[in-house]
Amino acid sequence: MPYPDSLKELIKKVEATRPARVEKKKAGGEFPALNLDERKGVLEQFHPDVKEEGRREIKIGPNKGYRICHEMVDLVEARSRVNPDKVDLSKPDYTTDVLIIGGGGAGTSAALLAQEQGAKVIIATKLRHGDANTMMAEGGIQAATKGWKDSPYYHYLDIMGGGHFTNVPELVSTLSKEAPDVIRWLLSLGCNFSKFEDGTLKTMHGGGTSRKRMHFAADITGAEMMRTVRDEARNRIDDISVIEFSPAVELIMNDKGACAGAVLYNMETAEYLVIKAKSVVMATGGSGRLHVQNFMTTNHYGATADGIVMAYRAGVPLCFLHTIQYHPTGVIFPEQAEGILITEKFRGAGANLVNVDGNQFVFEREPRDVEAACIIRECVNVNKGVPTPTGKFGIWLDSPMLDVMFGEGYVKKEFPGKHILFSRFGIDIGVEPMLIYPTLHYQNGGLEFKDDGSTKIPGFYVAGEVGGGIHGENRLMGNSLLDIMVYGRISGKNAAQYAMNGVVDGELTLDHVRKYHQEIDESGIETDRISPMLLPDYTLEHVKAKQYSAEYEGTLR
Amino acid sequence: MCDTATIEKKVPEVAEELVPIYIMGKKYEVPASLTIMKAMEYAGYQYIRGAGCRGGICGACATVYRKPGDYHIRVGLACQTVVEADMYLTQIPFFPANRAVYKWEDVRGEAEEVFAAYPELFRCLACNACTKVCPMDIPVMDYVAAIKQGNLEKAAELSFDCIQCGLCATRCMAEMAQYHIAQMVRRLVGAKIAVPSPHVDKQVAAIKSGHYDEALKEVMALGTMDPFNQDANKENIDKLKELYNKRQGESHATDESWEPDDKYALLEDAR
Amino acid sequence: MKIGYYPGCTLKTKAKNLEISTIEAMKKLDVEMVELDRWNCCGAVYSLADDDLVHLLAPVRDLIRARDAGLTPLMTLCSMCYNTLARANLLMRNDEVKREAINNFMEEEENYQGEVEVVHLLNFLRDSIGWDKVKAAVENPLDGIKLAPYYGCTLTRPLDVSVDHNTYHNVFGDMMKALGGEVVDFQEAETCCGSYQVISNPDAAEKTTVRIIESALKAGADALVLSCPLCDYNLGKKQADLMASREGIQPLPVVYMSQLMALAFGVPAEMAHFELNPPLTREFLEARGLLARV
Repeated sequence: MPYPDSLKELIKKVEATRPARVEKKKAGGEFPALNLDERKGVLEQFHPDVKEEGRREIKIGPNKGYRICHEMVDLVEARSRVNPDKVDLSKPDYTTDVLIIGGGGAGTSAALLAQEQGAKVIIATKLRHGDANTMMAEGGIQAATKGWKDSPYYHYLDIMGGGHFTNVPELVSTLSKEAPDVIRWLLSLGCNFSKFEDGTLKTMHGGGTSRKRMHFAADITGAEMMRTVRDEARNRIDDISVIEFSPAVELIMNDKGACAGAVLYNMETAEYLVIKAKSVVMATGGSGRLHVQNFMTTNHYGATADGIVMAYRAGVPLCFLHTIQYHPTGVIFPEQAEGILITEKFRGAGANLVNVDGNQFVFEREPRDVEAACIIRECVNVNKGVPTPTGKFGIWLDSPMLDVMFGEGYVKKEFPGKHILFSRFGIDIGVEPMLIYPTLHYQNGGLEFKDDGSTKIPGFYVAGEVGGGIHGENRLMGNSLLDIMVYGRISGKNAAQYAMNGVVDGELTLDHVRKYHQEIDESGIETDRISPMLLPDYTLEHVKAKQYSAEYEGTLR
Repeated sequence: MCDTATIEKKVPEVAEELVPIYIMGKKYEVPASLTIMKAMEYAGYQYIRGAGCRGGICGACATVYRKPGDYHIRVGLACQTVVEADMYLTQIPFFPANRAVYKWEDVRGEAEEVFAAYPELFRCLACNACTKVCPMDIPVMDYVAAIKQGNLEKAAELSFDCIQCGLCATRCMAEMAQYHIAQMVRRLVGAKIAVPSPHVDKQVAAIKSGHYDEALKEVMALGTMDPFNQDANKENIDKLKELYNKRQGESHATDESWEPDDKYALLEDAR
Repeated sequence: MKIGYYPGCTLKTKAKNLEISTIEAMKKLDVEMVELDRWNCCGAVYSLADDDLVHLLAPVRDLIRARDAGLTPLMTLCSMCYNTLARANLLMRNDEVKREAINNFMEEEENYQGEVEVVHLLNFLRDSIGWDKVKAAVENPLDGIKLAPYYGCTLTRPLDVSVDHNTYHNVFGDMMKALGGEVVDFQEAETCCGSYQVISNPDAAEKTTVRIIESALKAGADALVLSCPLCDYNLGKKQADLMASREGIQPLPVVYMSQLMALAFGVPAEMAHFELNPPLTREFLEARGLLARV
């Protein structure tokens, strides 16, 4: 919807200060950047990641004592959705070689590679096959395909620097070495990466890259990759079956300590189903829909950390979950575009961030985390945020000043996607500024795993955003689409080889769930929470107030 | 702190105009500024089907609606379309559509292969209902025509923004599932028709031959920094930082001819 | 000069030899064929059911695109496309009730009333170029070759869309003569080739093709000249099957009118794409010295 009159009034204040701000820019003047101490100060006070009251220690499980966000701890310190005593493990509903949990880019590439090893594969997924963050990634996929100027060596350095040098070296090395082969593979499956006429792939920079190695398919790279691998999985229907709207809710182990399947929940019939598998690949993705600290998110509807919960109960340790990536500029108004990313390119080109009075309060090219913290400070501490009609606060990103500086039509020409998005709502971002606020973007950490995809549990593999360590404390743009493909392929292949050769067979059991419940009780955690969450609950208070049912019965409330 | 970021869970506090909408014929009063998706949640629906990325790219929330006194079928993605007073709507979260199974290794990238997989292409009568119902404004009928004309590249280009919501298939009187056909075409174009990119194969071969192993081994030997014990490996991390800082950056303005001065860990004859 | 051009689907796939040879030959006449940017199938067969308006949508939409692009007259090469487009056009000009129904249905387009002029290559050459000019462009006359021009059913029927309004149809023959060939009249020149019956009733289709081929042979034809990919399928591509299944049938080379025009105008032979004709065609043209042996 267009800006209401209340916001149009406020835009006048942005317009009032714009000529002076443009003049200053033209004269080479910038709003002063923060020095390292000031950065540290604002981060410690206002970045959601470093806010100690935003997190607490996990009281149970392999990472007892690890401080991560409340929302994640809430899920970990919760009971299973199933009563282990009620689940009949003696008659599995499905039997397969490899079970893949999650139908996004990681899960689907794992399925393709597992099938190529001769394995029968089941993909169990919460929503539709392909409903995943993969689909939403616009930017691109990094790979050092241009040997005349780039190599896995430079890619490695960039990844380590981006992750504050905390990343797991083996994971990073494999990621950078396998990257060009992933591009080759995707091309061979018919993925339409943007190319020059001579066939050279087009590549661009992302934040923190020393070489232009971001490959893209127009501005829908993730969607093009996802629909390509999904289409090929559908060609192999004899060996790869997909069970939709049936998320896994618990891993099944065997009495030899190996992973041996999962319990699925058919969300439409409220039945629980048992899948017996020789190996399992966890590819459930991230957790933006936990709305950590009530932040909006760029993530898809099903990003609720299910894989973290299930694997943690089975004993897989967590890592790097103390950091979450926030993108400083997500749309906060209009409502229907909320959470959607506004590319960093706007600030790169010189668009100012200004507050409700039309005044600058931060240099527009601070690092992402610093920029986000300063925006939050301006809204919640300085109280100079711009109030939205739905009771939130945002900050103006003054895109029209780009048209003033570089000529009318610049914004429309350089940012066609965003221009169209806003024009659908009756807003011309060449004339009116955008309202933005930081948005939850990526789960930097996750389950501990090795560069062959394996974990400390035999028969249990990890791929994609659910895993931690590749990106250390901070992921660079373009390395998540890469991560899902590299480790999807590796985990799929190795899970299949394990299933075909080295499988440790044994009696199926949910004892680990019983023990976990016991641990909850013994630790003194008093809670009626159950997890995984499966879907975020957006039911509003006025509806909930009328949901009088004493308890949930089946799918009906 | 940060409560301003509370998004989806909060009822708008500001008194807002409510408008009537009819969800599958049933009336609800919802705030006028909401998208169809949020309006349905406001009304009390919890999505299982019919919601996906909530960002306009996954095709899960295709919605059709009408307005009183207007016979036109209107469409939109529930996550992107703002409610209108008196609209009556339903989502179409699933519609049966046949997808041809073919062996990817065996296809060569010829139009005849698409014809064989989807003979219903030739039942098209150019009624244009597909184009009119596409929420992404894709000229569906035109890409179907392009396929029939054997112009797969044109069809791939015209269909590129398809989110595979399936609305075209719901309206097709030739009973096609256009979006599956377009998917096959785009893959054929990407893999079998588009110019190849030999630089990728050269780099893959170099990596497999171990060309970069030495350089990687050296840098990996410097290890990593424990976030909770940052001084533990300080000497090595300082070396790593030094390598990081001295790596030559490619500027934004370069074209494909650019090569760094420092040729360490690169490939000769890589183009 | 420029002429608006509607190709038709088959000319972009199986009958590229018809399209490319025409484009190249027309260049020799200083004619540039401007292809319609957006077009769909012509509808393939003009529906005879009186109330079957839905089958008119495809051709009418093509005509609308041509009008919107300013491409009138609009030329076709395939006689099937010609027939379908021309008849749909006439209906939109003359039948007020149906015109309104169709325009009403296609409300996303601007109303159409038959503004486009649909022509076929044959009457375009006759009326807009002239046989003298065609003759003047000939470099390799088709001397001594007996050519049987095959109209089939769609070039001349019904009368109001016929490419030739003379009692005795001669436009096709005139073209062959202009190229230096000798024209052979034969009984079955306007008998249907069997059309889509080849799918639903192959036996009936075979019978009619046999009649056509035998009639042309009896009249002394060296080759049968065509203007339609479906005729080419029934009379040319299926000929080998015919030989195999029936005794006493003699082979008869088939060739598109435009391929002969291209050869006569001295267009390089590869532009006529004889690899898409039955092998017999090439052998025949080689034997007559019109094509170099490969």
